[in-house]
Amino acid sequence: MYMNTVIDAHNISKVYNPKTIPVYAINQVHLHLERGEFTAVVGPSGSGKTTLLNMIGGLDKPQQGNIINNDVDITKLSSNELINFRLKHIGFVFQSFNLIPVLTAKENIEFIMQLQNTRKEIRERRVEKLLKEIGLEDKRNVRPSKLSGGQQQRVAVARALASKPQFVLADEPTANLDSTSAANLLDLMARLNKEEDITFLFSTHDQRVIERARRVITLVDGKVASDTSPISTERAQTLQT
Amino acid sequence: MIFTMAWRNIWRNKMRSLVIMFSITVGLFAGIDILALYRGMINARIRTVIDAEVGHLQIHDARFTQDYDPKFIVSNGPEALYAIRKLPAVKAAAARSVSFGMLATATGSSGVQINGILLEQENELSQLDKKITEGNLLNNARKNEVLIGKKLAKKMKLKCRSKLVLTFTDTTGGIVSGAFRVAGIYQSANAPLDERNVYIRMVDMNSLLNIGASFHEIAVLLKKDDALPSTQRSLEQLLPRYKIENWKEISPETDLLVKTTNQLSFILMAIIMLALAFGIINTMLMAILERTREIGMMVALGTTKIKIFLMVLLETTFLTLAGAPLGILIGWMLTEYYAKHGLDLSGMGREMMSSFGYSTTIYPEFPSDKFVGVLLIVFATAIVSSLLPAKKALQLQPVQALRR
Repeated sequence: MYMNTVIDAHNISKVYNPKTIPVYAINQVHLHLERGEFTAVVGPSGSGKTTLLNMIGGLDKPQQGNIINNDVDITKLSSNELINFRLKHIGFVFQSFNLIPVLTAKENIEFIMQLQNTRKEIRERRVEKLLKEIGLEDKRNVRPSKLSGGQQQRVAVARALASKPQFVLADEPTANLDSTSAANLLDLMARLNKEEDITFLFSTHDQRVIERARRVITLVDGKVASDTSPISTERAQTLQT
Repeated sequence: MIFTMAWRNIWRNKMRSLVIMFSITVGLFAGIDILALYRGMINARIRTVIDAEVGHLQIHDARFTQDYDPKFIVSNGPEALYAIRKLPAVKAAAARSVSFGMLATATGSSGVQINGILLEQENELSQLDKKITEGNLLNNARKNEVLIGKKLAKKMKLKCRSKLVLTFTDTTGGIVSGAFRVAGIYQSANAPLDERNVYIRMVDMNSLLNIGASFHEIAVLLKKDDALPSTQRSLEQLLPRYKIENWKEISPETDLLVKTTNQLSFILMAIIMLALAFGIINTMLMAILERTREIGMMVALGTTKIKIFLMVLLETTFLTLAGAPLGILIGWMLTEYYAKHGLDLSGMGREMMSSFGYSTTIYPEFPSDKFVGVLLIVFATAIVSSLLPAKKALQLQPVQALRR
């Protein structure tokens, strides 16, 4: 299960204000993620969690180092190639849900598959399955403004998983959720991680997420301070239950 | 999906979108109706020039038009007139003796063009009988009567039956005068013309000029306007010794007015579209600014720049075209209504309109094929207006946009 490399980041660095007062958001970080991991990146505010996720997701480029995915160095891709790369390989879950307000729950989940020109029957099947998985079958035609925060984040997770990406990057996915919603969301992601074998990488402050992660990478001042990888399968099963 | 999103996006801020749609509706119907009014005024002016002033064509001795010397008559005039009236495209043709001279009363004088006319022919050609507002038309049985324009009558304080003296040069260059009595006062749609034209019987004029049954001018009215070029060519072949001019050559100021108005119409439409474009650009820029985070998220998820551009383009087009049909419909309905019933502008001042040679009742005209042109202009405006907002949207970097 853990033998296929999904992400291989070598010696990546991101510096802001390099010519005046350099601030290292990420400083010579190495990161190796295997298929099916359920990993949390933790650390205090400003430690570089979001920057690391952005670079792995091809939203931002490091000034130094390489990020290899499927034998492709994504740091060498043009902005258009990166858009295509993200569309094919990555699912995103954002802290503030970021659903498209003019689309219904069903259409939001379908959105990525539409961009990928997936056939309608396949789209319909996948959306129905995911709506069932997230327990929002009766809200399929409801727009995000009529959904609770927890429901919106479940739709966001379903959207991220709709096209069966290689990995999902989730930036503080539980930050705006109450305890029950956060627990339900974590259950959902853990189940999908297990059932669909999709790699999850979170950035989080949330202890509830950290407790459920099978690997925890701690960042301090842009450097990896600790990496508890990988946790035992028994512990993971215990955490999931 | 992009199509659906674009359509729904324009309704996110209903009031803002409705305001811009309403302004497009108002701008379009106002633009169409103003252009139709201009066109109607110009057409009315052309009709007045052709039907009541100069006709479609005029025939002179070429030397007469140089300094209007009355000795240059249309040689073999009656034969030429007969031949012209026989042409199938000709509706009416009238002979005129013309001289420039002085109208004098006990209190003053004024320079005038004296037209010696054959009543039946002139009525047929310029509807002189329909322009009489006071008194009577000339009477073939009464000698030395004159018709004067209302503006001239006012200026010279003349009334029906007033006496006046017309003085002009004869064919030998000598000064001749005749005492005339005002039979009637006429008013056309062109006040300056009324001020300088007086009409007397051709027989009275010719006896003073001593030119017998000759005359200086044949005015020709055609059955159809579009027969003008071919008829002019035919007449040039038929009467090679004469100078044959069409109304554009005789009245170049009217032709210039038509051309200027056409250019003015384009400029007016461009100004309206430019004003609308700024409104649309402003609305779309606000919409893009409000949705920075959302657009950044869409790019992060893998939406290509082409699709983002397409979404902005579609939104702008929907916003523009949503208001356009109503504007065109209202514009068309108003134009059609007033084209049938006429738009009475006498409230603006009959004299003012008349002093510019315009009738006070205008029949606006906007050819139906021009509506397609208007739609295309609106569509082009939408495309151009979308470029700046689309550029702004495309410049968004997902990382920065998501931080907002």
